[in-house]
Amino acid sequence: MNIQDIAPWQLASAYLLLILPLAVILWYRVPILGRTALAVLRMTAQLVFVGLYLQVIFELNNLWLNLAWLSVMVLVADVSVARSCGLRLTRIALPLFAALLLGTAAPMLIFTGLILRCESVMDAQYAIPIGGMILGNCLRADIVGIRTFYNSIRTSEKSFHNSLAQGALLQEAVRPFITEACESALAPAVATMATIGLVSLPGMMTGVILGGASPFTAIKYQIAIMIAIFSGTSVTVALGIRLTMRSAFDHYGLLKESIFKDSGN
Amino acid sequence: MAGSDDIALLAKDMSLAFDTGAVLEDFSLEVSAGQKILMTGPSGCGKSTLLKCFLGLAVPKSGSIAVSGQPLTPATVWSLRTRIAYVMQEPDLGRGTVRQIVERPFHYHANAHLLHSVERLNELIDLFGLGIDLLDKNVSKLSGGEKQRIALIVAIMLDRPILLLDEPTSALDAQSRKTLSRYLQSRTNLTALVVTHDTDCFTFADNIVNLKAHVPGEAK
Repeated sequence: MNIQDIAPWQLASAYLLLILPLAVILWYRVPILGRTALAVLRMTAQLVFVGLYLQVIFELNNLWLNLAWLSVMVLVADVSVARSCGLRLTRIALPLFAALLLGTAAPMLIFTGLILRCESVMDAQYAIPIGGMILGNCLRADIVGIRTFYNSIRTSEKSFHNSLAQGALLQEAVRPFITEACESALAPAVATMATIGLVSLPGMMTGVILGGASPFTAIKYQIAIMIAIFSGTSVTVALGIRLTMRSAFDHYGLLKESIFKDSGN
Repeated sequence: MAGSDDIALLAKDMSLAFDTGAVLEDFSLEVSAGQKILMTGPSGCGKSTLLKCFLGLAVPKSGSIAVSGQPLTPATVWSLRTRIAYVMQEPDLGRGTVRQIVERPFHYHANAHLLHSVERLNELIDLFGLGIDLLDKNVSKLSGGEKQRIALIVAIMLDRPILLLDEPTSALDAQSRKTLSRYLQSRTNLTALVVTHDTDCFTFADNIVNLKAHVPGEAK
């Protein structure tokens, strides 16, 4: 596969495109000019760093280094989900890490081992981008799912207590809330699958085509990654909720207020 | 004094506190099996929280709780909850149709043996002056009074030996108040602890406990 490289000066010209959003921001005085500049700088620095790092990782293609890189990705996702959910990191970081690791690793290994039949399931060229795509999509869904779950129980405390008072075990009392959380988390992925290819040309397909493969090869990759993402998303949301519940509820089945960052405890 | 087996509800030297401070101090209560006790007191004195304490839904600052002679602990709370039916003030029934809400508790593992109680649903719906067509209505469309009656019906269907009611008549019409009053009076073995301002509705009560004496700053 051949791909047209982009020379540094050509890339610089891409930044010229920023004139358009800057014009909109300035013309309508949208108060995000500073944040936009910082975001562009961060994006550039982060991607340059990742590019250099991945270059080294791909060349070395060492199993332990690949595992370490994927673990770092999961750790960053872990912190990001906990913060975005408004939950205390110290309470849920470990179970959430386990959920993200398991939920990402399972579909990734099936993708590299069973679908692509790579010689090594942890081959850097495949495991890292595929693991990253699954994790990146899980991240958004997990934030929605886990936040919905804990906030719903908090706001519907009376209904939750009513279930406990009626003799429900904790697993039975939280079930309607897990259903609601999973629906909120998975609905965007289902909608994306239903419209993919019609509304937008998906990322992986574009990448494979730009890499020189035929569109038919590209759609096969895209179908496989969509299914892997959906599997990873559903597993990480369900597992993320179930595993974090251990530290979020007390022995009476009551939600600990201290799990929320805004609890003040 | 009744033996420990005959004591349905026991609160000993209990203190309750909210973030705003202590609301109830050194409170003790003993309710014997079959007794009907009314509980009154000023607003915010912890009456509702006290009921929740018997279910392990709130934890007292100090003191101990026992239900049916067993101390309420993390190990016993799950089984002791199956001895109590509870109707909260302005109940939040959850989401779904009335039928789903009514049937839901009977799918819990602890209540599986009570599934036959659902057969009483039509009779109780009629007894509380509700129409059968209400069962297919979404609970979000119910009035406060309808929600209260549905919560009472579920509590009755659960057929527990102890009933905790928190302002059960606050949204009921005269007929439904009478129905509830008659039901409680007819169940001689049922232990009931009722938080209410409507003492006239429960003239048959064995005792009225006023929490005022246990509220810091209130006249004793």
